[in-house]
Amino acid sequence: MTVHVEQVMGLPVSLDLRDAGDHSAAVGRAFAWLHEADARFSPFEPGSEVCRYDRGELSTPDLSDELREVLELCVHYEGLSGGAFSAWLPGRPFDPCAVVKGLAVQRAADGLRSAGVKTFCLNAGGDVVTSGEPEPGRPWRVGVRHPDLPGAVCAVVASRDGAVATSAAYERGQHILDGRTGRPATGLLSVTVVAADLVTADAFATAAFALGTDGIAWAAGQPGCQVLIVDGDRRVHRSPGLVPA
Amino acid sequence: MKKTVFVVALSIAGFIAVWRFEPAPVTTTTAAAPSTSAAPNGSASADAATVQGSAEDSEFGTVQVRVSFSGKRITDVQLAQAPDSGRGRRAIPLLREEALQAQSAHIDTVSGATMTSESYIRSLQAALDAKG
Repeated sequence: MTVHVEQVMGLPVSLDLRDAGDHSAAVGRAFAWLHEADARFSPFEPGSEVCRYDRGELSTPDLSDELREVLELCVHYEGLSGGAFSAWLPGRPFDPCAVVKGLAVQRAADGLRSAGVKTFCLNAGGDVVTSGEPEPGRPWRVGVRHPDLPGAVCAVVASRDGAVATSAAYERGQHILDGRTGRPATGLLSVTVVAADLVTADAFATAAFALGTDGIAWAAGQPGCQVLIVDGDRRVHRSPGLVPA
Repeated sequence: MKKTVFVVALSIAGFIAVWRFEPAPVTTTTAAAPSTSAAPNGSASADAATVQGSAEDSEFGTVQVRVSFSGKRITDVQLAQAPDSGRGRRAIPLLREEALQAQSAHIDTVSGATMTSESYIRSLQAALDAKG
């Protein structure tokens, strides 16, 4: 078992790797990709592709395949959430962070799998991709942080080849805006989504959180996702299929 | 049974709200009256019943639910009729509601915790150890 941790995108990213053998080359490539994605798609770096796109310096043929994918995903989830999830808020720079993080971390995990790494848990600031089983017959046990008690979890979900993302306002303050109003989203304490991949899990968690209490019914209707939502009254809303581990 | 039908009507209203969630006006008409049948399982308790809701039409198609009760408690909700395609088909699962609890179970990692993740702390320690 090896554990690798680096600060990327302003967040601690840890890779818990359980396969035998030396996978340092694959691990190095995965973290190099995360740093590259951060540099290219950060809305905070004036020279990034995202900022150049936002300033109108890139015409359509100049866009990289990855940026095209980011833009398509932003449009897709904005439509799906009735505008609550939006990377294009009036008076603000284009901010595709919610999509970029899921995409970058999922790609890093895909790269590890392609390189033959089978058993790992990649955690990027609380967004998790898991692969395989840490012990034969046992899934990865992913705790969901308790919204009031930083040292406790309020649920544990099982994940083998999958992803778990949580959107909440308890880390880094009120950072998710409701695109319908342009104001910080309220109504929910945290939204956890379990899905096959982190792009889906992260985008759905962010969109449901942005929707506030509307997000409970909305998330329940999304295919391919299991949700665990803590509302403002500290009630937990859980998909029937989300079996606690 | 009137009370039961009322409960079913409420739960259908809940379903329709979930299923119709879309920023577009939708008209709904009631097409059929609710019908009731005893639980198919003879060994079930005497107050178990399955109730079929009315078929609700909208621009997305027809939705009809079947609700099983044990006394006043809803034990299961199934779709008797669902739209063939579109969001109506997929927007059906109900969420379970429960109280927020704190757990201290064994975990491998934490979702939603940037700085408090156990794995992060372990990882950080490992990194520090590796550096010497």
